[in-house]
Amino acid sequence: MRAEYANPFITAAITTFQKELKVKLNRNAINVKEAPVPSKQVSIIIGVTGMVKGQVVYSMDDNVAFAVAKAMLPDKLPAELRKLTNSAVSELANIITGQASIILAGESQKIEITPPAVICGGASSIDFLSLQTICLSFLSEIGSLEINIALTEAAI
Amino acid sequence: MRKGLIVDDAAVMRMRLRDILSSKYSIAGEAENGRQAIELYRAYKPDFVTMDISMAEMNGMEALKGLIAEFPEAKIVMVSAVGQKAQVFEALSHGAKDFIIKPFEPERVLLAIERLFEG
Repeated sequence: MRAEYANPFITAAITTFQKELKVKLNRNAINVKEAPVPSKQVSIIIGVTGMVKGQVVYSMDDNVAFAVAKAMLPDKLPAELRKLTNSAVSELANIITGQASIILAGESQKIEITPPAVICGGASSIDFLSLQTICLSFLSEIGSLEINIALTEAAI
Repeated sequence: MRKGLIVDDAAVMRMRLRDILSSKYSIAGEAENGRQAIELYRAYKPDFVTMDISMAEMNGMEALKGLIAEFPEAKIVMVSAVGQKAQVFEALSHGAKDFIIKPFEPERVLLAIERLFEG
């Protein structure tokens, strides 16, 4: 795992929160772990292939996921928003990963991402990649976000 | 009124695109994958399509190629988070009329659709 893979995700997360949610996202901590296992209640897994391969796992608490849906769809009623929360956090993760992959791919490379998979209520039974992971944490007025980046260069 | 088909696997994004487009166009249908998009296109013959790329079952790039092969006159605008140069080039070279990268402003979407019918 190369440390420089983190910067595109930091830029993409801050930009996407501002544009999609009108929320300022601030970097908090960064640490390294052995696998992209998330620590919060709602997690979104996206697979990555191409010039880099691996997994990116986003994680947030329930109340943050609901706040994301509310910020994306401010006119919807709470009951409707609850049904759309998984869709909202999936799309947010998809956009952040897409933006980061544009930066990583540069002019001539190609990166493909899988449709997001959402896990609610903990991820203890999921088999995550065993790959060194950079864990980024962010703070905002709607709560905290964790991004676990487990990427490696694809074999040529 | 011209009618559009919205293709995106995320309900949230379909809802936002519907809200943006319905001020000027009627929405013939919504599809959540490429296979469904082709079925709905055959059924409704929409005037335009907004097409996501990263979707399960059949992705938007495959659906674009399938639709253009069957309906060469189809007006398809890609609306995707996956907007690297290689993908934008691939989509445009296979018949997409425009490529909007998420996140987008509503005006960008309306402008792209308006341009489809100019001249």
